[in-house]
Amino acid sequence: GVSGTALQKNVSVGNPTKVELTCKLDDNSKLKNPQVTWKRGNETISHSSKTQNSWTVQLTISDGSQLGSYSCILKGEVEVSATFHLQVPKIDGKERPIITYEGDLAVMVCKTEYAPMAWTWYRTNGTELVAINLSSHTNKFRIKRQSANVNRLEILKLTKKDIGVYWCEAAFRLGSSKRSFELRVLSILAPLKPFIAIVAEVVILVTTIALYEVYSKRKEEEGEREFDQIEQL
Amino acid sequence: PFPAEAGRAPGPPDGGWGWMVVFGAFVSIGFAYAFPKGLAIFFKEIQDFFGTSYSEIAWVSSIMLATTYGAGPISSILVNRYGSRPVVMFGGLLCGVGMISAAFCTSILQLYICVGFITGFGLALNLQPSVIIIGKYFLKRRPIANGLAMAGSPVMLCTLAPLNQFLFDNFGWRGSFLILGAILLNCCVAGALFRPIEAGTALVKTQVAEEGKDALKGKITEDGKEMSGALNVPMENETEEEEGKDCFEKINQYLDFSLFKHRGFLIYLIGNVLMFLGFFAPIVFLAPYAKHTGIDEYSAAFLLSILAIVDMVARPATGIVANSKWVRPRIQYFFSFAIAFNGACHLLCPLASSYTGLIVYSSFFGLAFGMVCAMLFETLMDLVGAARFTSAVGLVTIAECCTILLGPPIGGILIDTFGDYKYMFIKCGAVMVLAGTFLFIMNYYNYRMLAKEEKERKTKEEDPKSVRTGNEGRKNWNNDSTQDGPELEPLRDEGEGVKKEMNGT
Repeated sequence: GVSGTALQKNVSVGNPTKVELTCKLDDNSKLKNPQVTWKRGNETISHSSKTQNSWTVQLTISDGSQLGSYSCILKGEVEVSATFHLQVPKIDGKERPIITYEGDLAVMVCKTEYAPMAWTWYRTNGTELVAINLSSHTNKFRIKRQSANVNRLEILKLTKKDIGVYWCEAAFRLGSSKRSFELRVLSILAPLKPFIAIVAEVVILVTTIALYEVYSKRKEEEGEREFDQIEQL
Repeated sequence: PFPAEAGRAPGPPDGGWGWMVVFGAFVSIGFAYAFPKGLAIFFKEIQDFFGTSYSEIAWVSSIMLATTYGAGPISSILVNRYGSRPVVMFGGLLCGVGMISAAFCTSILQLYICVGFITGFGLALNLQPSVIIIGKYFLKRRPIANGLAMAGSPVMLCTLAPLNQFLFDNFGWRGSFLILGAILLNCCVAGALFRPIEAGTALVKTQVAEEGKDALKGKITEDGKEMSGALNVPMENETEEEEGKDCFEKINQYLDFSLFKHRGFLIYLIGNVLMFLGFFAPIVFLAPYAKHTGIDEYSAAFLLSILAIVDMVARPATGIVANSKWVRPRIQYFFSFAIAFNGACHLLCPLASSYTGLIVYSSFFGLAFGMVCAMLFETLMDLVGAARFTSAVGLVTIAECCTILLGPPIGGILIDTFGDYKYMFIKCGAVMVLAGTFLFIMNYYNYRMLAKEEKERKTKEEDPKSVRTGNEGRKNWNNDSTQDGPELEPLRDEGEGVKKEMNGT
């Protein structure tokens, strides 16, 4: 690190693995030969190695309890630190509510960086999560595996009863991560109101313009007729 | 029977109802250019919904753009046959139907058809006639009218982008498409404003050579002189046309292919086709480039907003500048300068690495982009004249169609191959500077040739024993006064009426 602000980095770890964390000092930093400690929370990690301007610690992550935040602290004229957050891979999905219509199809897609062991989908029933069982609702739900790390839930023949929050869960050896989706089902009449309003506006404007044109043409013709009459006189 | 028309000036009104037409063109052109760009907001959702890849969704946009530009000649033919108003109203209806049916699509293929072809074709029927009718309503103030009408594009884009987001958040993509279909029907309102200005359709098109652009004033007074002298010409025209109406003539009536022999048209065509290779790519890649240099998403989007706002102001301003008496006779030079300026901006862009640098680039780019767009059609009108513009614009857009579609993908390939955006900017900048220089040199040559032809014509005119062949008689007609039969009748009658009065007193 260079400045006084703390640096953060997220490291996604899905399966038990060995992780190497390195803190490297910039050549133009004020610190010269600092004292370096690696910490996780309050406990210090002893086995770290040092090269010219970098300090490395090797960790073996074998279960979920070993995940968390690891920091390297460099003490010298000033104190600088950087933190690595070791966590299970997060799920990418839609942030905003999903808006669909009655009778239509709803699609929820979950994507992770690394492939999980299993994907599970839940539906919120009151306060608890109920897993979606494909065998009991064959015509309602479809789960498609687009690839190892992309999973997709399709809800068919939507009705207002399907409104609610749905969850997808990616299970890794070291833990699991979840993401929620809010589903809204609108009736077909909802967009129809603004639609009809705009169509009405178009019709009114076109009619007004047409009428104005007829009116101004008639005025011109009246003016011509008067002109002719004056000529004849 | 013709007193009202005899009282009308032998040229476009340059005002009055014309400003309503400019407003209609503003709306129509705005939708035609901004709507495809505004749809990009829906693509991610549709991609997830149908489970397709990004490139399959991008095809919707490409098909739409290709149809809008590729259907140009069809649009021109229809305008030549029926006039601007019915074509635009039908186009608006088609757009509306396209988007409404898109709301009920169940596959990506149906989206290609509904959004891509049908709506794209409707937009093509909107774009061309709007530009054409400005040429019919304006002459002296035409650059201003063009600049104002073309300003519709950035204004619509700035309106559509947040509107689309709002619709999407509240109605999902299906509901949004339904409502957008209704919004597109407003193009019919724009079309209703396009009151036809000539009596009947222009079926008789004389082959008029372009004039030397000494001064427009000079031409209009010349007009007055020539009309009394060459009143026999209309009769000759009509009989000649009736005799020579074979198949080729018939096609030429609807789409003037003889334009390919027109020097100015060819210069414009080659220069523009070259320019469009580098015109749109920088806009497409500006936001990704900004994110690539580490700028966050909202600031990157803000760059595009700056571009649009500067663009909005630049277009009418360019129109006013182009209308001034110093620039108008040399408008082709101004256009070449604007293109080269555009290119210079792109060439300098790689030097801008900070956010402030990119803001400066976006502002200048917006200015340059607006300048070029404002004069895009004005310069074509200037070169071929209002009568042949209808066909010219159709032929130009279909030629541009290819390079417009190729531009961003070529830029994308450059970025992917070198992993660096600067080569794309260098390519675009180089292409545009080249196009600008080409246009500058060729238009210098063109102006000289036109001045020479003007001199020749004047010396022939002064010779009273010159035989007025059909060709030469036609050459004497001012481009910008209408040449069709019905238009000439009232003037001829007026002339005869004056003679009668003189005999009577």
